[in-house]
Amino acid sequence: MKNRTYAQSIIDSRYHLRDKAEANGRPRVDAEEGGCGVTGFACNIPVSGRHIFEPSVQMHNRGNGKGGGLAAVGLTPSRLGVDQKTLDEDFLLQVALLDETVLPEMEERFIRPHFKVDHEAFIDTVDDYRDIPGLEMKPPAVKRYFVRVKPDALAGFRKERNLGILPEDKVEEEFIYQNTYQLNLALYSSLGEKRAFVLSHGRDMMILKIVGYAEQVAQYYRLDNFDAHIWIAHQRYPTKGRVWHPGGAHPFIGLDEALVHNGDFANYYSVTEYLKQRNIYPLFLTDTEVSVQIFDLLNRVYGYPLEYIIEALAPTAEMDFDHLPEEKQRIYRQIQAAHIHGSPDGPWFFIIARTDVKNRQHQLIGITDTAMLRPQVFAIQKGDVEIGLICSEKQAIDATLESLAKEDPRFGTIADHYWNARGGSYTDGGSFIFTVSGSGNGRKSLTCSDKFGRQIDVPRNQRPYDFTKKLPSVKLESTFQSELRKELKTGDIEGPFSSLSKGLPKWNYSHTATVLAKLKGLAKDDALKGDVIRLLTLFLDRHYPTGKKRRRSILQMVTGTLNSIFNDVPVLNGKPAGYYGLINFKTRQNLRPPLPGEETLVADAGGFSPEGDDSFAHIVSEAYGLGWKRFICFGHRGQRFLGCGLGPDTQGVRIDAYDSTGDYLASGIDGLEIYVHGNAQDQLGQILKRGKLVVYGDVGQTFMYGAKGGEVYILGNAAGRPLINAAGRPRVIINGTALDFLAESFMAGDPYNGGGFVIVNGLTFDNRGRIIPQETPYPGSNLFSLASGGAIFVRDPYKKIVPEQLNGGQILPFDERDWQLILPYLKENERLFGISINKHLLIVDGKRRKPGEVYRTIGAVKLSVLAGSSLTMNEEWVTDKDAGETLNQKPNHNKI
Amino acid sequence: MATDHFHFPETKKAPSRFRNALGKYRITITRACTNCGLCLDLCPYGVYQAGSKRPKASCDHLCIGPSCSKNEFYCVNRCPEKAIHIRSNPSFEVLGDRRWPAELLAGTWHMAETGTTPHQDLNYKTGNSGGGFDKIRFIFPGKNGNGKPGTGEDISTAIELNRSGDSRPRVTIPLPLYLGGMSFGSVSIVTMLSRVRAAVALGTFCCTGEGGYPEELMPYDDHIITQVATGLFGVREETIKRVRIVEFKYAQGAKPGLGGHLLGDKVTPRVAQMREAVPGSALFSPFPFHSVYSVEDHKKHVDWIKETNQKALVSVKVSTPTDVDMVAVGSYYAGAHIVQLDGSYGGTGAAPDIAKKNIAMPIEYALPKVHKFLLAEGIRDKITIIASGGIRSAYDMAKIIAMGADGVCLGTADLVALECIRCHHCESGRGCARGIATTDEELTNLMELEWGTQRIINMYTAWRTQLVGILKRLGMKSVAELVGRFDVIAHMDYMKKEEIEGELD
Repeated sequence: MKNRTYAQSIIDSRYHLRDKAEANGRPRVDAEEGGCGVTGFACNIPVSGRHIFEPSVQMHNRGNGKGGGLAAVGLTPSRLGVDQKTLDEDFLLQVALLDETVLPEMEERFIRPHFKVDHEAFIDTVDDYRDIPGLEMKPPAVKRYFVRVKPDALAGFRKERNLGILPEDKVEEEFIYQNTYQLNLALYSSLGEKRAFVLSHGRDMMILKIVGYAEQVAQYYRLDNFDAHIWIAHQRYPTKGRVWHPGGAHPFIGLDEALVHNGDFANYYSVTEYLKQRNIYPLFLTDTEVSVQIFDLLNRVYGYPLEYIIEALAPTAEMDFDHLPEEKQRIYRQIQAAHIHGSPDGPWFFIIARTDVKNRQHQLIGITDTAMLRPQVFAIQKGDVEIGLICSEKQAIDATLESLAKEDPRFGTIADHYWNARGGSYTDGGSFIFTVSGSGNGRKSLTCSDKFGRQIDVPRNQRPYDFTKKLPSVKLESTFQSELRKELKTGDIEGPFSSLSKGLPKWNYSHTATVLAKLKGLAKDDALKGDVIRLLTLFLDRHYPTGKKRRRSILQMVTGTLNSIFNDVPVLNGKPAGYYGLINFKTRQNLRPPLPGEETLVADAGGFSPEGDDSFAHIVSEAYGLGWKRFICFGHRGQRFLGCGLGPDTQGVRIDAYDSTGDYLASGIDGLEIYVHGNAQDQLGQILKRGKLVVYGDVGQTFMYGAKGGEVYILGNAAGRPLINAAGRPRVIINGTALDFLAESFMAGDPYNGGGFVIVNGLTFDNRGRIIPQETPYPGSNLFSLASGGAIFVRDPYKKIVPEQLNGGQILPFDERDWQLILPYLKENERLFGISINKHLLIVDGKRRKPGEVYRTIGAVKLSVLAGSSLTMNEEWVTDKDAGETLNQKPNHNKI
Repeated sequence: MATDHFHFPETKKAPSRFRNALGKYRITITRACTNCGLCLDLCPYGVYQAGSKRPKASCDHLCIGPSCSKNEFYCVNRCPEKAIHIRSNPSFEVLGDRRWPAELLAGTWHMAETGTTPHQDLNYKTGNSGGGFDKIRFIFPGKNGNGKPGTGEDISTAIELNRSGDSRPRVTIPLPLYLGGMSFGSVSIVTMLSRVRAAVALGTFCCTGEGGYPEELMPYDDHIITQVATGLFGVREETIKRVRIVEFKYAQGAKPGLGGHLLGDKVTPRVAQMREAVPGSALFSPFPFHSVYSVEDHKKHVDWIKETNQKALVSVKVSTPTDVDMVAVGSYYAGAHIVQLDGSYGGTGAAPDIAKKNIAMPIEYALPKVHKFLLAEGIRDKITIIASGGIRSAYDMAKIIAMGADGVCLGTADLVALECIRCHHCESGRGCARGIATTDEELTNLMELEWGTQRIINMYTAWRTQLVGILKRLGMKSVAELVGRFDVIAHMDYMKKEEIEGELD
């Protein structure tokens, strides 16, 4: 009750803002459109702003250099010329001066009369903005103030605004908020010249933004040596207007939080109306600004805990709601009823960085919309240092880690865990929160939890390898190398894999590194190189016990070994290169047809651009045109379209892809085979026609949209909307599950007669590499919706799939015919991933079951909307005869 | 293709394929006729044919009606037996609708039959909708005007489709028009081929629509635009690589936010095979591309097509929401060569009325908005704007070019050329009673390919003549000069006739 009074008094205190806003003709409700790339990370140690570069550069294709910005939270006092106490307690006010002559007026009106300024300074910049390549417009001068509101100013404000019941700190926060609003209104959004605006005013956080790319912010304002625990950045892709202002760039602020956003709302107008009713007026006319205004409203004005804020933004719906505990349903129903009009509708993904003043901690929060329409990847890595990351693309996460690892090898290049949030769900709530806490001087720690407070952690009993330490070489048994050589010569790598992986749990890191070094030595022999590569690749592809070692460290070591083997391959030139020839960005001009004896083109994707004329995909299709058929592609940093453009009838072509492959991989392939050794990104296999795609990890959004065929094997999970509108005869196994909307409008004919189907196994791996079932084989509320053909076979021994999840599908008995249909694919799945039919798939609770007890069939129902004429006559038009028949079909309610 | 030397195809007479073509007048010859044959000799329009008992007025749709009475060859007056009667055709009164009134339909049929503008008193320039194109007129310099008419011969009607200045080929079409997407499934294969072959003859393009790339089209690859739409039906890498232009269809002006919907009855085994779907089941195209929810997704999408086909131009077809200007700018920055704005008047009978009449912006509102916005942005000359959605006549085409388009894209007009009567039953049952928008084999056979091809060639030849005439009267040397010339058009609701200097037409 008290809170409500607080809330109302704050809202009322803003009443006077209404007149000014409307006098200025505000708010105008034309949201600017724009897509974007967003990225953020939180770390238990402060790190340099430089590392936010890497993902930003990678995501240039998500922006157009017309607006970039970043925020830093959890700062280092010495870099700012203040002490820890000031940093903790003062509001850090940063004002962008678009017109530097406005400074005296600005200070006289908005700073000096109200604030006790503990420290002030202009932010250091490079001397000439033109020294930064590509920066076309001079970024604004920025003045930074550490302030507290003067007691008399605060008392006056409290009285004037009738905020008597609020505690002191709340009044001060509201003062800061309203003062910023007035400043922006007077000097930025009023008609006339845009002269100055507030970049940020929260505690222990700051924002900078420019017209340009996000990394240019860091370069121009010399953030190389500026440390913070949390960084978020944004590339904007605005499409409106020729005159650009940095004010329109993200991040936007509430009070102690900064928000970047990818997507745009369909209901911007309604959300602004909702805010207007609470005396909140947007000034910058982007949906990002209103997003953070809602957040601030729910957080600071209504005093909601984070969980309820997330619920208000991304409401839990459909079957997910039914799965909530009753108590939560009761509260959520209230939240939805009260705030649905302020809930952004349409595609959006928020990354928020904030200082949680009350709990003296910093947080990085990612929230996805309920339908998961924007790409989003979360990752966590813990060891001597702890970091959590949120990005639009997985490759941006890897790029950040790589950049950090280069400077401080305590960071690994691979995260312990990558995952997607399931929007508006009962499972994770579509949101994850990384919290950095701990005292200022002592060691801080990072925790990660979902909306409901469930912790996401790494296997504590397994230590990652600290790459700062040099590993001593271990003496192996004298026969080790010769035995290995003998085993490899048989050509069957399952043998050596089995013996090495049996030994691995007992080895320490030195032992492991020595074994890898031996393997690398063996790979010098061209005759063994292929087998060594395949053997090492199995260590990326498979899950196996690692003992006390962390899987990600093993992956990093194996990747390092593989990359050095690849880089040792002779560069393609005039002379025959041997069985393998290397091409990279520098030597791309050397590309030529294979000479006799040259079989495999090893291609380093590293320097190539992700798309366009200089793209890596282009080089691959060009090489195919010259006669190359076998490809090893490595060093990917999000290069897109791999396998596209080779044309029809490419059977016999095989591409093995390593590292962070990009979007649209294998789209449209017609015959060729692609093996992705690791996680893949979004839009894989769009319109895939024929051929084989194997992913030894997860796949991203809209996987196989509109596919016509192909044999596809996925070891992990698919994100949202896989196989939408797929037709023809795709045959797909997903060993994990999908977020939602699997096989919507599936039209793949009669599965028993050449049509397509999807097998969902619902499995995952534990930290010891064992195969275990997921909580449910399919958590989403929409499975096989509006499908007219094909089938889904789900491994669902506990019958967790219910008809409510289907809209256009029906659960049918799984019979012998089904088993014979899927068996060959399960066998290939076993060969590829080591997921055994007899040892894993058909074993339930330790007992062997019949296929029909383990699998369930979901087939299409002929829905009236899919049949010829979708319209039926209204009841009153139906003739008596018809009516009689209809009545007879009605259940007889008298009989009970 | 050097359009300067482009040889436009010859027109050939392609009369109605039905026994009685629909015309404005009906002629009856009474028993008083003595079969003297005078009327056959008199009529310069070829209305009559000889008959055994008396002449047949089998081509009465060519008759110019009572206005002929001023001519000395007026058959009614000259008939010695007074056996000839001319009256209004009652069918004509119920034909058509306000956008396509009977006269516009008949005028278009005439052009398709003869390749020339109608000599009858038919308004073939505008409809009767009460707004839009039907209220807009050209202001031609009056007799004392300062326009310097060209000769007509040296007037260029060609437009360039790739204005981006990138390394992809330049593609010039000799007329400022190409033919829009109608899928196999929505129309018959004969209709589809007629349009494609006409496009070949006219040196322009025809879009496949979203229903696959039937192999019958393959000989004409260089004149085909392959459409990548939200259902991705029949879209394969091979079909993308085949063509010179790839079109993304984000939305249709007739039904924005709805996507395509082919009802089960039209999904015959052949259609299902082409789309790799299930016969008899309705086929939906989702309203969005599931892989594109923002402009950077769109760029990625465009990049994908460019990667797959290194030579093709990319066209982006969008409908006309209120922020259509932003959509156009976004498309440009994403690397599109052509942006096609599809206004709200288009669509066949298969688009629901509620959508057709209520959602998108009319094209004549959207186009100036986009044109001016791109001008201000400084990129107007880097992108080709194609207007579609309710372009019915050569005059509509010229008007929308004056409002900022580079060219137009047509659909319904082609179907009218094939004798569509606008009955609006394209979606139901076996489809079209005239064998145009059908996949039923029997109905498909109602039309012959040669005839269909010639009809469309004839119509656009007549359009070209009219366009050249307009440019000539405006004293312009090329259609490019007409782009964005708001000064040569007037809207009759906002300008008074008497205040305008010049002739309105």
